[in-house]
Amino acid sequence: MSESGHKLRVDFQKCIKAGECYYNHLDLFASTNSGFPALKVRDLDNATHLREAREAIEVCPSGAISLG
Amino acid sequence: MPGAATLSRPVDPREFDGPDFQRDPFPLYRRLRDHHPVFHDRFHNRWILSRYHDIEAAFQDNQSFDRAVYDPDGPYEFGRRHIFGPNILEYGNSPQHRWMRNVVAGQFVGERLDAFLPIIDMIAREVIDTFIADGEVELVSQFSSQFPIRVISNMLGLPREDEAIFVGWYQALIAGLGFGGEYLARGLAARNEMWDYIDPLIEKRRVAPGQDLLSRITVAELDGKRLDKLEIKGFVALLLAAGGDTTDKAIANMWHHMLYTRPDVFPEVLADPALWENVFTEMMRYDAVVHAQFRQTTREIPLHGEVIPRGAGVILYLGAGNRDERVFADPDVFDIHRADLHMGRENRSGKYKDGKPGHLGFGMGPHFCMGYAMARQEASIACGHLARMLQNARPKFPTHEGITSPSIDSGGFRSPPQLWITFEPGSW
Repeated sequence: MSESGHKLRVDFQKCIKAGECYYNHLDLFASTNSGFPALKVRDLDNATHLREAREAIEVCPSGAISLG
Repeated sequence: MPGAATLSRPVDPREFDGPDFQRDPFPLYRRLRDHHPVFHDRFHNRWILSRYHDIEAAFQDNQSFDRAVYDPDGPYEFGRRHIFGPNILEYGNSPQHRWMRNVVAGQFVGERLDAFLPIIDMIAREVIDTFIADGEVELVSQFSSQFPIRVISNMLGLPREDEAIFVGWYQALIAGLGFGGEYLARGLAARNEMWDYIDPLIEKRRVAPGQDLLSRITVAELDGKRLDKLEIKGFVALLLAAGGDTTDKAIANMWHHMLYTRPDVFPEVLADPALWENVFTEMMRYDAVVHAQFRQTTREIPLHGEVIPRGAGVILYLGAGNRDERVFADPDVFDIHRADLHMGRENRSGKYKDGKPGHLGFGMGPHFCMGYAMARQEASIACGHLARMLQNARPKFPTHEGITSPSIDSGGFRSPPQLWITFEPGSW
């Protein structure tokens, strides 16, 4: 897990489709038919998005989300 | 299946209020699944869904099946309506609800949970040590109703020396929630005592927040605004109940199934403690702690030839969906090696890489249980330690009254009222 930058990333190899991100952080993530998340925002340029991203990183059970 | 409904004995809605249903709801669940997959209970003014896929779809379609029980425009007196006081369960689908859950959700999974595991481990050992020399234990009062509440109060950062007081308040709160009447009065009194106790702790954290969960709740901000004191207290009461009671009952249920439902499988679990995770998963399918969830329709729902009107109250009997023959083979058998159930950690999406269906015991979708990972960890750590220390564990009494609940329809939790175990004391 990296929090060095302001770019939101999802590692689809690690992702287990748990859905924690797209059910709870609707500003940043969208669900897809495959069960994997889609990113709505890549560059996090405000404090709210950054806070949301950190919360999403915390609740992701597979450690697939990172900031870089 | 046209005409199928006429083949079954009609369901009398008063059956839901009877003692037979509270003790063994499964025969009625089956009649509902087979003959009334959409049952209009005119007596209680509600609709009932009981098949796995219908319940799953309702959980996922949050727009049509609203969690909200709180009208944002209606009159609302915080602290009177609910024994816990104001809490996020009352906020339904609002952004406020999502914000409040996101403030605490990170505490119960991932790295934060991993960092807390040594404390969970320590507390399990401490509680076991209180009775281990006795050679017998009533598991519900002496362990399961003690352990998770001590864990959550520790996580909140409440003083350890007062844990026993918290256990007392918690037990009064839970009894008030489940039984009503004089229990309700005692529950409310306990809640108010607890709130008075917490008040200065909140004040302290407003000035000098620490790393604990109470600090996190106290200083969290949405649009520059913090929760007010009463909201914080309601949140704490809810966490004590949600984080304590459910896991409490899960542990008691797991032991009940090993001692009475499948004693033939128990030696295998004792030999391989990793199997406690399977016991947990199958318990959550076979007879989950929570059997009913409530929704309100926001549109007309056509289903199985019926139409549920807009604004109708709907019960999702996940306890019935978990026994659906359409999804699980031999659903009435408790099988820890079940090939048709996802055995690992649960997901709110309900999608698993092994392609198997999950149990419905934590719900699914947007309002999936927030404590899913922590509950599983607590239960397996506790059961592992108990199994190791309670050597040659066996039922004190040859028969047991079984798992029951004060009231399934009011959200009452399923558990054995008591569970006596005889053993030879082990050592750490």
